Amino acid sequence: MPDILGLLMWPIKWVLEAILAGAHFGLEALGMDPASGLVWVLSIASLTLVVRTAMIPLTVRQILSSRKALEVAPEIKKIQDKYRGKKDQFSREAMQRETMEAYRKAGTNPLASCLPLLVQMPIFFGLVTVLQTANRGDAGVGFMGVSLAEQFQQASLFDAVPLNMTMQHGFEQGNIAVIATSIVMTLIMVATQFYTQLQIMSKNQTPAMKESPMYKQQRIILYVIPVFLLISAWAFPIATMFYWLVSNIYTLIQQLIIISKLPNPGSDAALAREARMARKRQRQGLPAESSETTTTAVEETPVIVNTQRQQPKRKSTKAQRDGGPK
Amino acid sequence: MSALMLIPRNVCVAILVAYRTIVSPLYGDVCRYYPSCSSYTLQAIQQHGAVRGIWMGARRILRCHPWAAGGVDDIPVPRRAMALTRLGFVTESRLDR
Repeated sequence: MPDILGLLMWPIKWVLEAILAGAHFGLEALGMDPASGLVWVLSIASLTLVVRTAMIPLTVRQILSSRKALEVAPEIKKIQDKYRGKKDQFSREAMQRETMEAYRKAGTNPLASCLPLLVQMPIFFGLVTVLQTANRGDAGVGFMGVSLAEQFQQASLFDAVPLNMTMQHGFEQGNIAVIATSIVMTLIMVATQFYTQLQIMSKNQTPAMKESPMYKQQRIILYVIPVFLLISAWAFPIATMFYWLVSNIYTLIQQLIIISKLPNPGSDAALAREARMARKRQRQGLPAESSETTTTAVEETPVIVNTQRQQPKRKSTKAQRDGGPK
Repeated sequence: MSALMLIPRNVCVAILVAYRTIVSPLYGDVCRYYPSCSSYTLQAIQQHGAVRGIWMGARRILRCHPWAAGGVDDIPVPRRAMALTRLGFVTESRLDR
């Protein structure tokens, strides 16, 4: 069987190698030592930045979509009120159905689909193979020729932490510097991942989102992530982990910007943002914003709608029926 | 339908149920449709079998992208619904309706 996977990965690997070699060349041109570990780490960091920045259109589209979702907020609120306090499976399902249908009708959807996540997987997989090839001192598919690969293979951060080693190698060879670096990196990654997730969960979710069983699962998973990261630090070379680390920090900063500038309508972050905007307007001596654009307006009075079907009533009286023709 | 014929779809069900309890919560609700892609695929496999179910699920995942409208998108109604256990496995009996 021909190597279909390899064929599919080829263009991704080619682009990754081009960016990596390009960044390396650029840093060399700036007068840095091309063989140093620091230059290679910075090259990997630039690769992360390029990849993540190339994905910004997806993120922006999503943000614009959630902003548009503000227009549907009153309708969503109505649906939430209708199912308030009903936690059985069928009510939840019916509520999700109605919510999704409302978003579709409004031509907007605050959910991103899993595409942004799926796109990142082959990229990460491609990076792992590109770095693995370079670690063996072999030429890649494009710009990562044998000389660059060999240089990468020899690269060592501050002449103490060889980039091609994993945490496992560190323990096997008793290399304290490698062990310490990989542990510190794992800790930073756990911390950033934790903080990002916590930010989303505590600030950028609406009360309705917090009621869902998904929220509880998310909380549990929060404590599983560190274990996952420790296992990957054990298995992947430090060079690969740097990609992940920078990517995590990128996500964290992006999330902080989103939460402060364009929060999910109805979430704590949105309320906080409105309060900030109101204070700003007050300072500038402007009148308060009209209530139709704010989400707090729909927060106040819960409309209790009787969802139970009304029992039909007989229109005729008993006397009429008895007296009528048989 | 014999239990032997149900093995492929039940293997798929087991994988999907595991995915939905362990991996899905990692990134939360992101699907633009109801039911979500994994739920859709699970139902499709339960009701239409492994081969048709995976095909339907794959097409659904391709339909789900940031430019899609989203909304409610249920699986094609099976001629006769399969009975499910509490965990979602398909049993030999069928629901008569």
